[in-house]
Amino acid sequence: MSAVSDFPDWGDPHSPANSYRLSQGYITETFPETSVPNMVTAVLADYRGYDTMFETVVIFTAGIAIIAILRRYGPKDKVVPEQKLYKKEPDLIVETTCRLMIPIIQLFALYVVAHGHHSPGGGFQGGVIFGASFILLALARDLQAAQKWVPENRILNLAGIGIFIYSGFGFLCLLLGSNFLDYSILHKVMGVTPIEARSHSMLGVEIGVAFTVAAIMFSIYSNLASKGEMKEGL
Amino acid sequence: MIIEIICIVLVLSGLLFLVGGAIGIIRFPDFYTRMHAAGKGDTMSVFLILIGVAIYQLNDFSIANLLVAGKIFFITIFIMWAGPTSTHALIKAGIDEGQKVWTREDKKGKPDA
Repeated sequence: MSAVSDFPDWGDPHSPANSYRLSQGYITETFPETSVPNMVTAVLADYRGYDTMFETVVIFTAGIAIIAILRRYGPKDKVVPEQKLYKKEPDLIVETTCRLMIPIIQLFALYVVAHGHHSPGGGFQGGVIFGASFILLALARDLQAAQKWVPENRILNLAGIGIFIYSGFGFLCLLLGSNFLDYSILHKVMGVTPIEARSHSMLGVEIGVAFTVAAIMFSIYSNLASKGEMKEGL
Repeated sequence: MIIEIICIVLVLSGLLFLVGGAIGIIRFPDFYTRMHAAGKGDTMSVFLILIGVAIYQLNDFSIANLLVAGKIFFITIFIMWAGPTSTHALIKAGIDEGQKVWTREDKKGKPDA
């Protein structure tokens, strides 16, 4: 506790962490180098793009692990007593509100994804909001209604497509003769300046992240809520 | 100046509703009355506070501030819309689950009328 008083003041611009020339470099160089106003996104998706790719893989692996542990196929285990599931009759107010609200939530999620390199937001946040819209559908109706839109095999396909988009951007850079995830080379296929190509590629990888996060969010919810049966739940 | 006074009045009355909702959650006897206090108090207080903040944004008028005020207004609409619905869903779940309704007789120890 006595050491706490030696910490620099909160938000002190002259503290060692803030005055070190690496952070100064990010603050001054991000916009000229990438034409992205949001430095956090630039560091996340461009300078540290390799980290973020494997963060997406971590989320994918978490989803796979949840499915591997919880998902149950075949006849029910008779030893475990069948829990009486809460039978839900449809409720007019909740259903109408969700019917009006879910499209708006999904539109907002796409806005968050698409605006991630200009304002706070990005693939992870937008993906979570998009997955939450399906969870809301599953809560308001039942799991079957949401499964009609995102069945189980489509969840895994979408999660894989997300990582494929992200690593595809990396390998496209390799194919064009640059380093892995060095987006500036992509100006050859995008038809913009190398600096703008970095900005556009960041949007591309954010979309990949959003695919994976949204799919895995709903997968985790539906597995947990239905005890792995994927039939009915909360 | 007038705008600032309006903002202060709106935010303070919002805080009053928030305190009322918080006291209601603690003091009311059963599930339904507590949800009543929480749902109504929170919706109204968040509405008043956010409207006050939105008007404060318009104090020095510019297009950027108008955009921020519009976004705050959308949040307000969303909360006015989602809050009562979630309260309704919770109350309905409480009825289905069999929560007892508090009556005055419960307090005196008499059997339910």
